[in-house]
Amino acid sequence: MTNRPILEIENLSIGFRAYGQYRRVLRDVSITVGEGERVSLIGQSGSGKTVTMRTIIGTLPMPPGVVETGSIRYDGRSLLELSKIERNKLKGTGISIVLQDPMLSFNPVLTIGRQMDDIVRYADSRLGQNRSAAQRRDHIVQTLAKVQLSEGARILDSYPIMLSGGMRQRVLIGMALLNRPRLLIADEPGTALDVTTQDEILALLNTLVAEEGLSLLLITHNLGVVREMADRVYVMDKGRIVEEGTRDAIFTAPQNAYTKRLMAAVPPLYGPDVVTIENHHTDPNPAISIDSVSKDFVGRSGLFHQHRTLHRAVDKVSIDVMPGDIFGLAGESGSGKTTLAKMTLGLIDPTEGTIRVEGQDISQIAGTADFRKMIQIVYQNPGSSLNPRRTITDQIAVPLKFTGHETSRIKTRVGELLEMVDLPADMANMYPHELSGGQKQRVAIARALSVNPRILVLDEPTSALDVLVQSTVIDLLHRLREEFDLTYLFISHDLSLMRNFCNRVGVMLRGQIVEEGPVAEVFGKPSHAYTRALLSAIPVTTDEADAMKPIVTKEERAAVLNPSTAIGG
Amino acid sequence: MSAPEMIDAQRVLTSRQMAIYRFTRNPAALVGAVIVVSVVIAAIFAPLLAPSPESAGSFVDFRNRHAAPSWEHWMGTDNVGRDVFSRVLYGFRVSLGLVVGVLGVAVPFGVILGLVAGYFGGWTETIIMRFTDIMLALPPLAMALAITAVLSPNLVNAMIAITLLWWTWHTRLIYRIVKAQMNEDYVEAAQVAGASHFHILFRELLPNCISAIAVKISLDAGFVILFGASLSFLGLGIQPPTPDLGTMVATGAEYMPEMWWQAVMPGLAILYAILGFNLLGDGLRDMLDVEL
Repeated sequence: MTNRPILEIENLSIGFRAYGQYRRVLRDVSITVGEGERVSLIGQSGSGKTVTMRTIIGTLPMPPGVVETGSIRYDGRSLLELSKIERNKLKGTGISIVLQDPMLSFNPVLTIGRQMDDIVRYADSRLGQNRSAAQRRDHIVQTLAKVQLSEGARILDSYPIMLSGGMRQRVLIGMALLNRPRLLIADEPGTALDVTTQDEILALLNTLVAEEGLSLLLITHNLGVVREMADRVYVMDKGRIVEEGTRDAIFTAPQNAYTKRLMAAVPPLYGPDVVTIENHHTDPNPAISIDSVSKDFVGRSGLFHQHRTLHRAVDKVSIDVMPGDIFGLAGESGSGKTTLAKMTLGLIDPTEGTIRVEGQDISQIAGTADFRKMIQIVYQNPGSSLNPRRTITDQIAVPLKFTGHETSRIKTRVGELLEMVDLPADMANMYPHELSGGQKQRVAIARALSVNPRILVLDEPTSALDVLVQSTVIDLLHRLREEFDLTYLFISHDLSLMRNFCNRVGVMLRGQIVEEGPVAEVFGKPSHAYTRALLSAIPVTTDEADAMKPIVTKEERAAVLNPSTAIGG
Repeated sequence: MSAPEMIDAQRVLTSRQMAIYRFTRNPAALVGAVIVVSVVIAAIFAPLLAPSPESAGSFVDFRNRHAAPSWEHWMGTDNVGRDVFSRVLYGFRVSLGLVVGVLGVAVPFGVILGLVAGYFGGWTETIIMRFTDIMLALPPLAMALAITAVLSPNLVNAMIAITLLWWTWHTRLIYRIVKAQMNEDYVEAAQVAGASHFHILFRELLPNCISAIAVKISLDAGFVILFGASLSFLGLGIQPPTPDLGTMVATGAEYMPEMWWQAVMPGLAILYAILGFNLLGDGLRDMLDVEL
């Protein structure tokens, strides 16, 4: 590193005192960001990366937080020793931050213009400047132009809800840039957005760093993002920096065992490590047959709900899922994939078309015990799909109880199920909050399998989990499929995972299936522009995979995607 | 910064342990708990604790009437010579009886309506919640006065009057919680598992309402005591010679300010009980982390 350091964290140790216990969350953390350098801090949830960030910007609540040792220096000045007033002067002008969730970072009842103006005004008053409202507005519009939002004036008069997620993220970056900071801290930028939008946001950040001469400290859990965004990388685990190095060193020759495990757990999109799953079943009768199914949702507006608007969530979709398939349904948020899954479970009725499960029309059999024994679901977030106030046994027992199992048999069956998903038997009497995220998802899988269904709908079952945990859950699902001869309908936005988990995929865009086929074909030779746009937007972890991504022209992209820079959409 | 003691192997606290920790670090809540326990003990063991149990009835001792507080009569005696302290202890009995009677009916009724309205939605929700709104729009004291006046004033009718007005708050509270819980996937998961409506209402949703109900009951208890005392004070609640705190204040008020203890002592007793329940309720709310 040749540049002068702008941020130096040295031997920082931080603990929390809560409920009469003391727990150390950061241990001897040292991080340096040079002038104009892009540094990434990568770690899973609970690794301490957010605590590090909050300590830098001074928003860590103390108490309960306690700085044990260490220092943070910005531009040679020790931040932890500065007075509150001195430190506030650096906010926005020295160090600026882009937060993760573009919706939660705005006040929903104030216009964007008002919220941005506040930032400029307060910074002005801290620095003793005085600009007129018109000057400030000009400055804001210019800043918005930097984040490629050309309709600055219109955006200023909008409320946050009127902007798309991508635009909100851009405005948020614009806000961080308003007072010309030298160091930008980005906490999981674009993570809450669709992959195509995330891709645009990451490109924008890279451009800004290059053009504005910013330094960037990026905090993320996604290795693919790191590869695109960093010159140097710090890997954090359990409050310690376990490995540090240049991007190429970390990605080509990781030294630390944890880093290696992390790298291995990321499902590859392309390259020699890709696993292709095959279905050896020869049964010609589909397990699920979806025949030109559509679903309209009625929206009502007006004082007396007199205006009806129809929103077509699913549009003439036809899919056959064969026995033994792991059929992946890919698509971004709002593409209709969850609606389709709920129709398959008989939870909502299609407006048009028929769905057959094992040859039987589900409009006839939905709600019967026989239907429940055919098909079950695992939800995205086990924190929500498990009742926080009931024990694990109680929850797994519900499907058993209502499909006519004898009460005396239920207890043994729950034991069997826990063993099946590799959970210790003594978890039976625990409550969900005593379990980790991965364990909770195993319980949810056990519950779904309790009545021996032949088909499972998996609604993003790993998206709430860390990548290391994800790979263990995926392995479990593969094993269970072999063991019990299951068919999966897998819904996800994570195409890398899908490439390695599914044998067939369908890509959904605005309620329609735009492409469908075996994984190797769809990923190898994507025919639809949207599939190519999706695939090319995925951050991958090797140069090799990057080179193999499909090419999509600007025109093609524009034709299939809602741009994140225009109002509406 | 001195190096704090280190516990590397972390014991994961259960939510119950964290709740108890919060409660025991809250002096106000502990005071509330002590007061409530003392009131309950006084009520249950009144015949054993009262220095003059016969004072609870229509006993008269004219030689001792209007005696000021002394070692013999801690709170003095009333206009017919009954020991005020003994009557206060029995008065707690009546007040707690009122609380148990009113909340014992109003809470289950209100909770069930709230659960049903929130879970089923649609017309069921509209009918239940609009009816609740109408009940809430009636001025409670005027309603209670009207009811007891029509039904003849006594303890049972006072209970009926308060109960008729009280369930609405529980319906509203539970309805709001259930509406929020309906967004959680576990409700749909139970439906997919084939669970009955009964199961979902009482096994899945109700356990998630219990903390809020516990807090609400504790806060309610104080208000029911106050409401009952108000009715009695106005002569429409419990009738003499039953030792009721509200009635005692009303009777004692005639001898103010010279023989102040006859009104002030039962008044302080009301204050004591209500303060206890409110402090306990606030403590429970912080402990269980529920919003009301």
